[in-house]
Amino acid sequence: MANRFDKTKEVKVDYTRFVVPFGPVHPALKEPISLKVTIRKEEILNVDIRLGHVHRGIEALAENRNLVQTLYLVERICGICSHSHTTCFIQALEEIGEIIPSERALYLRTLIFELERMHSHLFLLGIMAYEVGFDTLFMFAWHVRETVLDLFEEITGNRIHHSMNAIGGVRWDLPPNLAEKVNDSLKKIEKSVKYIQEVFQDKTVEKRLCGVGVLSFNEAHELCVVGPTARGSGVNMDIRRDRPYAAYDELKENFSVVLRDSADAYARTEVRTFELLESINLIRTILDKLPNGPISKEESILKLMKKIPEGETVSTVEAPRGELLYFVKTNGKEGLWRLKVRTPTIPNVLGLKPMLIGSEIADIPVTVASIDPCMACANRITVVDQDKGEKKVVNCENLRRRGKKQ
Amino acid sequence: MNTIMMLLITFPLVFFLSLLFEGVDRKIHARMQKRIGPPIIQPFYDFIKLFSKERIVPVTASSRIFTAVPMIAAAASIVGAAIPIASLILEIGIGGDLILILYLLTMSSVMVMIGGSSSGNPYGAVGFSRKMTMLIAYDVPMLISILSVSFNCLSLAYYNIVSTQVGMKSLLAFARPSMAVAAATFLLCIPAAADAVPFDISEAKTEIIHGSMVEYGGPYLALVKLAKAASNFGLTFLATTLFFYFPALLEGYASVGLGALCLCLVPALILLLLTITVPRTVFARLKIGQAFKFYWLSPLALSIISVALSTLGF
Repeated sequence: MANRFDKTKEVKVDYTRFVVPFGPVHPALKEPISLKVTIRKEEILNVDIRLGHVHRGIEALAENRNLVQTLYLVERICGICSHSHTTCFIQALEEIGEIIPSERALYLRTLIFELERMHSHLFLLGIMAYEVGFDTLFMFAWHVRETVLDLFEEITGNRIHHSMNAIGGVRWDLPPNLAEKVNDSLKKIEKSVKYIQEVFQDKTVEKRLCGVGVLSFNEAHELCVVGPTARGSGVNMDIRRDRPYAAYDELKENFSVVLRDSADAYARTEVRTFELLESINLIRTILDKLPNGPISKEESILKLMKKIPEGETVSTVEAPRGELLYFVKTNGKEGLWRLKVRTPTIPNVLGLKPMLIGSEIADIPVTVASIDPCMACANRITVVDQDKGEKKVVNCENLRRRGKKQ
Repeated sequence: MNTIMMLLITFPLVFFLSLLFEGVDRKIHARMQKRIGPPIIQPFYDFIKLFSKERIVPVTASSRIFTAVPMIAAAASIVGAAIPIASLILEIGIGGDLILILYLLTMSSVMVMIGGSSSGNPYGAVGFSRKMTMLIAYDVPMLISILSVSFNCLSLAYYNIVSTQVGMKSLLAFARPSMAVAAATFLLCIPAAADAVPFDISEAKTEIIHGSMVEYGGPYLALVKLAKAASNFGLTFLATTLFFYFPALLEGYASVGLGALCLCLVPALILLLLTITVPRTVFARLKIGQAFKFYWLSPLALSIISVALSTLGF
């Protein structure tokens, strides 16, 4: 029997490669995501993606609240696509309760939806410019975004969390003078968007974006990426067209799905700039077509909530970042058995690995930004003690106990 | 006695001017971006505030190098920027001080680079390797362009080149074609030496969190920032006086001395705005390979052309 001490263990240390932690706190990231990037010189050899730094237990919270409270809770999942979340949730409730909102309410929902898409895309274009070190374009894009936010404030009273949706309708109407104002602002925005489009064709910007973070059509298809990330890789999908909701069924003719084949960061950016123009056209059509009628049901929301029976359904919308999916199971007693949220970032973040491997460190921020990640969706908190090298997972129970103590 | 007083004033003057230039740069950068921007004396506020902050040395850093380096960097770049000013005021030329000035101005970025790599932070290491590559890219054309100047004026003393311009009653860059090419090379190298945006690869904020400067904070950061401001000021002042010495166009008293120094500051500020502020407003950051290619294609070729022209006597 060989002595186990006979063999000397050979340890090979490769000094040419080292691991750079990218995040959870990093100036290029809007929200915490942790990438452990193995690099050799400037080339990326491997990527390890970790999520879960902003887990807030919203799904569990929703199970302890009634439906109207949950409506405002899901709005807080994301600050950028708050309207997408409430629309998706409210659609599920309306389907279970067989409540049909009025035409005008559906059109107004769509209007806010498209404004939100513009606000989100302008936000991302600014971030993209910032990642490539083009601060001037970043400032300009956010300046334009401010116009959209002002419109939100005029229409709904809030800039970010609009609280527009209610069961069976919307909460605020759009008087004609406001519609005119929206039209005026759209002219300004259209001009600026065209300018942004031109600037993105600038040589130095193009150099940084073209051929960076390539996600081929097949990979995009296999990983089920959604939204502009998928459309940038040539995957023809858009929930607005494929599974119409709100007023999109009647507006089908008024927008086209923007597709690009080059599958790089530039393609994803281009998809977004063109979608901005599509959104502008769509909003103009909505303002023209806006039907008359009530914006909500006569019954109070609490009465409507009590009417919603036990049932379950799946609801999807095309959020600015891609397909947003809700699974809702009501218990018939004003509450929920289960709420499952699948935000567009969850499939999109998987695409990061094939995009990053083989590229340079300088491409990480651009690539990460190009999928427009929204990290407020994941699992557990991991506490790492660096001195002892320990890792332990803090679960929901620990958190609750700790919360009670303080 | 008077001479010593003058020399003593030079150092605070460089400190004041370099921070003031940085303030103007930041203000105009902001105005070009439709922002209001910080007040012009903001760099002074920053400097004072940073000095009142805690000194933090990371556990992983080799602390002696880490703490010594910002001081050496600040001292080197201030002395580097002070030499041209002092020799203008005192009207003295020392053989070979041109090499010394360039060496001291480069010293500050080399020192910051070393400090970053001694911090034990992987971003510092990446910043080090990037800055190293950039140094090779821009320093060679920069030195060759200066070499071409000294070929032309047959001197390596800074003051002699200035007095050559006074003697010619013309600006060096407009006097001979070889010098125009050398001036273009030098100006093209300034953004990289100053780490301004298209070439700020070594301290890209969104990529490697300021690279070498990642672990610096408090007084150390204040010194590092001062070193950068002073070297930016030094480089633009050097470029102005070597190639565009406007007082040379004037007669008599104003062409050298204290008055001439004051006259040079305005063109120096304009040059700073043109070579640092404007590029960092209108360009996006390049990648390291792209920047290297740019420097070894155009400025290096230009500098060699200028040397060739000056040996031919143009």
